[in-house]
Parts: sequence; structure tokens; C-alpha cells
Amino acid sequence: MVSLTIDGKAIQVPEGTTVLRAAEQAKIHIPTLCDHPELTPYGGCRLCLVEVEGIRTLQASCTLPVSNNMVVHTDTERVKAARRFVLTLIFSERNHFCPFCQVSGGDCELQNAAYAEGMTHWPLQPNWQPYEVDASHPYIIIDHNRCILCRRCVRACSDLIGNFTLGFEERGANSFLVADLGVPLGESSCVGCGSCLQVCPTGAIIDRGSAYHGKETQVEKHPTICLGCSVGCGIDVQTRDNKIVRIEGDWMAVINGGVICKEGRFIPMYDDRQRIHTPLVRRDGKLVAATWDQALEVVAKELRPLVGESSNGVAAAISTKLSAEELYQFKKLFADGFKTDVVTSLEEGNYTAATSKVRKELGKVFEGKLSALDTTDCVVTVDFDITRSHEVAGFFIKRRLPADTKLVIVDTENNPMEDLATAVLKSKGEFYVEMLQGLTAAIVKLGLGKAKASLDANSVLESAAQKTGLSAEAYLSAARIIAGAKQPVFIYGKKIAGASSEALKALIELAKVTGALTEKYSGLLSPKGKANSLAAAQYELDKPFAVNGHKAAYVVLGEDEPTQKLIQSLSKVPFLVVQASYSSQLTANAHVVLPTTIWSEKEGHFLTFDGTLQKAEKVINPAEGIRSNQSVFEDLGARLKLKLDEKGWKDELTAGLPVLAAQA
Amino acid sequence: MSKPKVASDWLAGCAGCHMSLLDMDERIVKIAELVDLRATPITDLKEPDASGVDVGVLEGGVNNTLNEEVAHRMRKRCKVLVALGDCAVFGGVPAMRNFFTIEEALRRAYVETESTDENGRIPDDPELAVQTRVRALHEVVPVDIHVPGCPPNADVIFYVLSELAQGRKPELTGNMLHWH
Repeated sequence: MVSLTIDGKAIQVPEGTTVLRAAEQAKIHIPTLCDHPELTPYGGCRLCLVEVEGIRTLQASCTLPVSNNMVVHTDTERVKAARRFVLTLIFSERNHFCPFCQVSGGDCELQNAAYAEGMTHWPLQPNWQPYEVDASHPYIIIDHNRCILCRRCVRACSDLIGNFTLGFEERGANSFLVADLGVPLGESSCVGCGSCLQVCPTGAIIDRGSAYHGKETQVEKHPTICLGCSVGCGIDVQTRDNKIVRIEGDWMAVINGGVICKEGRFIPMYDDRQRIHTPLVRRDGKLVAATWDQALEVVAKELRPLVGESSNGVAAAISTKLSAEELYQFKKLFADGFKTDVVTSLEEGNYTAATSKVRKELGKVFEGKLSALDTTDCVVTVDFDITRSHEVAGFFIKRRLPADTKLVIVDTENNPMEDLATAVLKSKGEFYVEMLQGLTAAIVKLGLGKAKASLDANSVLESAAQKTGLSAEAYLSAARIIAGAKQPVFIYGKKIAGASSEALKALIELAKVTGALTEKYSGLLSPKGKANSLAAAQYELDKPFAVNGHKAAYVVLGEDEPTQKLIQSLSKVPFLVVQASYSSQLTANAHVVLPTTIWSEKEGHFLTFDGTLQKAEKVINPAEGIRSNQSVFEDLGARLKLKLDEKGWKDELTAGLPVLAAQA
Repeated sequence: MSKPKVASDWLAGCAGCHMSLLDMDERIVKIAELVDLRATPITDLKEPDASGVDVGVLEGGVNNTLNEEVAHRMRKRCKVLVALGDCAVFGGVPAMRNFFTIEEALRRAYVETESTDENGRIPDDPELAVQTRVRALHEVVPVDIHVPGCPPNADVIFYVLSELAQGRKPELTGNMLHWH
């Protein structure tokens, strides 16, 4: 610990702490602009200058490490004059005229800083150099005229996202924010996560969708979780008059630490599909509006004779983007109530079946936590494109690559990360078992195994090389990289996690040999599918949706977009009920359509892919006439005299997942 | 003690700051009790007394030779000069034309606007003031008190005038400060 004095207050902080953070801990406010708690200190704006006794010049507190017996003053006339001068220089550099800026009046950190210094004006005029506004991106506008060159966006793009799209060209007053090598943002390598937008202290980076729709003081904030995928990022949904204004990453969230992707920030804001506002019933071949009572009576009448029928009954499937409570009620209604043989999810266990099977065989959880990515020194992706889905997990990997974390890709298709990978194993056919066994054999052959493996290294490697069309040397060099890692992480996709368990067993073997699966550590991650993919698997809603001679089908589509395969498989069902939020080809084919709430209009629990149970909050009220899935199940259950159970969802959800016991 | 004399005028602005002054409603009576309101653009007398006033208030930036003349006259005739509103303080909305040349701005205004027919031309009467770059008031004459805001809130204007009327220098901090 280091002892120092700030404004007469004696403080003790760990060595390496900056003066700025030490002051924060002592609740002494030092104004800043380029500083952001989640970003590497940069020392660019000079607003945080402080006076340190014994040092001739003022020092930037954000980059100055504390030292013993340091005496710091943050509030002297010299410091205050310097602050006003720094602000004057920033204001006069570009177009910082407040009356026509969308963040003026509370949301601009530059304006707030000047207000705090009591500045009624600034004595230097700008040089009136106009810059073009870059409005080429679908979600983000960059107004260079408002930029103060603080580089928060550049650091967010690199430190948090690992995308390195944003950077600066030129020097001094000519410094200019660029995407890639100076292309319009919309044509750049930008992944549209919007982190730059969230950290920008001024109005330089603008959200196309929410500009002028509500300032920070005019919106209500609702911390909740993103339901875009199974990572379960914390988000902050901002609403005004029962309308969502914008979505931001929640800096306080443990899972993502404020980082979200376009799926969380923008996609829900730009959903222009048509909502269904009233129940629809097919009469004389046409879907016509009906009351809830009429629609549910039609459903009850058609389904009543099917209660107790198995393969002749009603086949039912539900979206995995729905809450545990909804999944559980659905299962109670159809599996226990109707006793039908096909009760499953629309994901059909494609992302989870093998994992669940192997876990039961092993009798224990073998998957690790997402946080393993924070400490790993080698990531192996097996049939997983980190840029396509579960993007935040991908960001966690990408941002570690400059810190010399190795990336090894095992795939059968082209993977966009190949250029950044240390090694790539790509077979021309679906030879995952062979590739994974080949890697294990190569490690054993090199004598680098951290655990015993029962295979004949030479012959397995030879046959793997032969079958996959890859050289033995390719296996050996990839093996050296993985085996050289202290904490490797294997992140595996659909073809390993959902198909036959053979490839998964080969992966587990490889993980054991490389030390990625021990008593204390697991570096095996399967990101699975939609938000509640794991919960659906826990409820055993993971069978194929085989509609075969069933007299009716009941699809709880939620917000999902139906696949062509699903639409076709249900085209000949005599009676189709669809519970959905949006119009689609499937609802057009249905006999009864029941309109239900979307993610923001209800609360419920979700299980992240690594087994963390989280609650999603209701942020806005649904329109009149739209019901929750649960209330529909209850109503239908009552009409058919089938008993539902509201309470048991948690016990069944957590069964066999000891990782959950700690949270309960 | 006689009441302090106050005069105001407007330059390149929109008159909104003077409208905001009127927004102080019945408190304007109090101001009239405290000060001797001499010339303003919205009263009969337009120019400050040649013998001088105590407080001069100017709204708007300086964008031509006429504004320069008015600003210099006010500065010469007043003891304390107040820059009222964002245009006087920073240049404000009119200053946006500084991102273009004066020729471009005039052509846009008199020739290219959607409502201009083929006879549109830039006025060139020699009696007209000559356009200049738009400047904040303090770039042309020394300013004693800056009151930002677009427009400054009526409460802020009331505070500033009543402080000045009572011989104090107004300090704008906290909620008094608005540049928007």
C-alpha cells in the first residue's frame, strides 16, 4: 500500500493506482473527459491536471501513479485556471456551439465540465474549419465537428471489443478520427456494437435512432438482461412514455461489464415486423379478428378430444427465447396435461443434445464459465464462428489477441477469424472427431500431455491426417500451441454440442490432455442457441419436432422468425395454433393466432449458456389485447381442466447443474 | 442616489433574448422601479444617451459594419457592458455561416433558396452595411459580463439586471448557466 495526501486527506491505496482513482476512492472529484473507468488511461484531454508538491508542472492525474508521501492538490487557483484554459482550448478547436447539439443540456460531458467551472464563455474563437459528417453507417453517425479527440471511442473499439476499426490519422490539431484506413464507417470493418456511441463524451458520435428522443434526465432507466442470445449480457433499457428510447450496455453487469453487440443495442430498436394486436381465427378459409374468449374457445373445442392422446394428439413446440417460467408452464400443459409424445423446443436440442447426454453419462457438469475467457492464453474454436453469433463472447476473445492470447481454429468451413488465428485446422469434410483425436494424438506424440490419454498416438495421428487431408505437421504445430497454454479454452459449436456425442467425447479427451478440464478448472464452453437454450435442455425440451400424423400442432413462436422447414412441416397439420408476437408465414397458415408479449413487456428468468440464472425485467406495458404466454396457458388449462404448476420451474431447471447451487 | 441608467440594443440575433427579457412578466415592473430604462429596440428611444448610461446590454453577434458601429457606440457610452445570449457570447446560430464564405452564404440566402425565382440577386446597394465574418461581441469590444443561453432564461436576466441595478456584479453559476 502507498500512502499519500490529496487535498489534506490522508489516503492509502495499492501501488500502481493512479492519482485520479485514488482521489475517487477518497470521494474527491477531479473533472475528466478522456478518462473512462473501463478504458486504458490515455492522458489526452488534460482536464484532470493536479498540483503535486515538489513537481514543477501540473500533472495529469489519470496517468500519474501514486507514490509514497505524495502531496496532491486538486482545487488550487492554479489548477482551476488550468482547467478553464484546457476547456477553452477544447471549445475553440472545432464546432462546440451548444444550442444546436443533441446532447446539450445534460448529456454532454464537455458542457457539464464547463458549467462546473462556472464558465460563462470562452475567450478564444474557433478556426471555423468544417468537417464532413459521416452518416454512412446504418446505426451510427459521426459528426467530426463535435469531436474533442479524447479517443474514448478508439479505446472502446480496441480495449473492449478487440475490433480495432476506429483510429486516428494525422497529428495535433489535424488529428482526425477514422475508420480503418480512412473509409466511411458504413463501409468499414465496424461490427455495429455501438460501444463508441456509449462512451463518447460529446455529441460527436450520434445514435441515429435515439438522437433528440430523450435526454438522460428525461428517460427512465431499467437495468435488465439482453435476450438476443444465451450470453445474457446486462443492459440498461431507457424508456420514455412507455416507449423504448435506447438500449445501452450496463457497466455494472458482471457478465459483460457494459459491453454489448448490435443484437442487444440496435436490432430490437429496428424491428419493423408487424405486431399482431388481436387474436385471429380462421373462418371460411380466412383469418379474421376475434375476441380472446372466442379464439380460446375454438382452441379448447378442437384440442379437448386430443387430451390424453399421444402420437395422435397435439404436437407442441416452443421458442427458446422465452422465459423459464413460460417454458415450464408449456411443458406442464402439453407433456403432463395433454400427455402428447412431441413436446419440445423449436431449437430441437440442436445446440444442446450432445452436451446434455454426455453430462448425464459423466454424472457431472464439465462445462466452464464464460469468465474463463478473461484469463485464458489460448482459445480453440471448434465449429464456432465468433463473429456470427454470441458476439460478446467473440469480443472477449478478440480483445485478448493483442495480449498474446493464441487463437486456434478447428473448422470444416471458412472462418472469418482465420487471418488472426495462430493455427487453422480445416478439413474438407465433417471430420471433427478425427481432427480432435488427431490433435490429442499429436500432443501425446510430442510428450506434452498434461493428463494420460489411452490412444496409440502414432496410428491415430496418421489416420487423422490421412482422412482429413491435413498434414501431420499441421496437427503437430497446432498441438504445440495448445499444449503450451496454461489455461486453454475450447469454445465449441452446434456440430459438437448438438449432434452425436462422439465429437464431444473426442473434445473432452483433448481438453483433459491439454489441462483444460481438471477438477478445478474447465475451459469447455458451448455458447448454445437462443437466450434460454440451456433452460429448454434442462426441461428436456430438446427432441426433434417430428409432426407425424398428429391431429393438431401448437407452436409458441414468441418473437421468433419461423424457418421454411418449420412452415413446411406444419403445412398439412389439420389444426394449427400459433402463439406469436409478429405476423409471419406461419401465422398466416394457422387456424388460430394468439398475440403475445415480447421481451420488453414481461418479466421472467433466463439461464445463460454457462448456467447463470438471471431475471429479465418488464420495461414497458404491452398494448391492450396482447397477453403473456403464461396467461394463455393458464386460460387454456382452465378451459380444458388441466392442472398447471407455477412454482416448480426452478427445481427442475437447476437439477443436475451444481453450478447453480451456489447462486440459490 | 439616482437610479442606474440602462440601455439595450440588438445586433445579429433573433430578438429572442429581448423576448425572454419580457418573459419575466410582472417582475419587469420591479426592474423599472430599480433602473432608469433609457433606450431599447422595443421602445421609442433607440440610441443610448450621448451623456452615457451605467449598463449597456447587447444581444446578437457582430456580422457587419453596422453592428460594429452599434457595438462601439454602446461600449463608449456605457460603464458596464453585458453580452446577452449565445449570439453575443459565442456568435451563436448566425456564426454557423462562418463555416462557409460570405459569398456562399449570400448566394444561398438571396439566389438559391427554394422560394427565390430567377430574378433573385444579392443586394449590392452601396448604402448597405458590409457583411463580415460573424464574431462574438468580445471579439469587437471588451465585454464585462457574459450571459449565455439561447435565450437566457427570464429568471437569469432578472437576476443579472437586479444585481447590476443594486451595484453588484452578477455571478452566474449552477442552474443559472445555460448555453442551450
